[in-house]
Amino acid sequence: MGGEMKKIRMCREHPAIVCRCEDITLEDIEKAIEAGCNNVQCVKTMLRLSMGPCQGRTCIPLIVRILARRLGKNPEELHVPSSRPPLVPLQAELFCR
Amino acid sequence: MIVGGGISGLFTAYFLANRVDPEKILLVERSYIGSGSTLRCATGIRASFTTEEHIVLMKRSIEYWLELSRELGFYLRRGGYVWLLQEEHLDAFKEYSQLHNRFGVPTRIVDREFVAELVPSINQDMFAAALHDPLAMQADPFEVIHTLTRFLKSTGVKIQEFTEVTKLVLDHERKNVEAVVTNKGEIPAENIVVAAGTGTKNLLKSVGVDAPLEPLPKHILITMRYRRLFDPLLIDWASNSYIVQSRYGGFIVGAELAENTSGEAINRIDYMPHAVRIWSKFFKWFPKVYILRYWTGYYVMTPDHHPVYGPVEGVDGVYIAAGFSGHGFMLGPVTGYVTSRWVIDGDPGIAQAKNLMLARFTMGRLIREKAVIG
Repeated sequence: MGGEMKKIRMCREHPAIVCRCEDITLEDIEKAIEAGCNNVQCVKTMLRLSMGPCQGRTCIPLIVRILARRLGKNPEELHVPSSRPPLVPLQAELFCR
Repeated sequence: MIVGGGISGLFTAYFLANRVDPEKILLVERSYIGSGSTLRCATGIRASFTTEEHIVLMKRSIEYWLELSRELGFYLRRGGYVWLLQEEHLDAFKEYSQLHNRFGVPTRIVDREFVAELVPSINQDMFAAALHDPLAMQADPFEVIHTLTRFLKSTGVKIQEFTEVTKLVLDHERKNVEAVVTNKGEIPAENIVVAAGTGTKNLLKSVGVDAPLEPLPKHILITMRYRRLFDPLLIDWASNSYIVQSRYGGFIVGAELAENTSGEAINRIDYMPHAVRIWSKFFKWFPKVYILRYWTGYYVMTPDHHPVYGPVEGVDGVYIAAGFSGHGFMLGPVTGYVTSRWVIDGDPGIAQAKNLMLARFTMGRLIREKAVIG
């Protein structure tokens, strides 16, 4: 775990998990917002949220709502990260048949 | 003012803030910090190039990387680079290695057994020998970007995201730059560093400067996480492809596909089969790994594959840091150093950087780099 995340995650009391793949809780996200994150990409790149096997299918809608509420914005105003292929993890050999 | 919140702009701000009042520095970024090439890059840092300019600058960059990783506290791993070569490449790489050694980069040609010790699962029939660069390293661009941003803000440097500069503005004599126009209004500035990656060419055009910067689409993928299998970044020189296991365990794979400069970087259906075929020949486990994500980005290429640095003749107050041709992340610290020196002292502080000014293209003083990978 990186220095950046270590500092943010030093103390985790809140049990609500937002990103299961990368094990990120609501408290981690609130600390990232306190550290100055005001867009989805900032939270993503700081905590690695949405970068695991599910590719953000669960956590991106959640983080958009959390950020919109905390920043007093409309969820539509927040840019969501690009969806990247192959959308679900696929075994490499599938591409060579 | 610095236009561009990628690795070059951030390190320029860092070195400027060491010397001048940080509160006088403003960095603007058209999207979020790192959103251009920086966060899409392959994480490698090396000095094994084929020109004096690149080797000397990159070696200095590596020294800064080490120093700053201790000072600011970010991850850096000295995994080295291994260039996997065929018989016909050996003569050229023996020469490159001598050039590296002359400038203090201890590369050497190694045999298959040496490679197999570093990379136990590799298929030794696939290459004749290799060039080993033990100085090369891997960083974590995400952590570097956030660490630098937080540090800069703490010193008083102003960072404004989602602010797109659309043109530079000259004074009435059309000699000095005096402001920039952005999507959030005009901002006055005395000195402007343009480190805007793919956007650099158009910004320079707005003040009548023509820079030969052409974005070349590139393709890259990452697999799911696996336990660490090897430390170095591996290059298959025959296919111009690389593989490296990231900090978190995913294998990052880049492979060259024929593309046109100035074409749009879009996902191509042929990329994943191409990349998988290459590395399945080297590793019998590769067909079994799960591919997680495939993305594209640009190398902003110059005709001689070296960056464009320094002030611009005829337009006072404008400095360029762009056209890295795929090496912007690794050059980041030294880019920041030479650019800050140019702005403050009028001299880059490293002689070789002077050979990389824009004027080299009109004067015909090109310096060709041959070792561009991916």
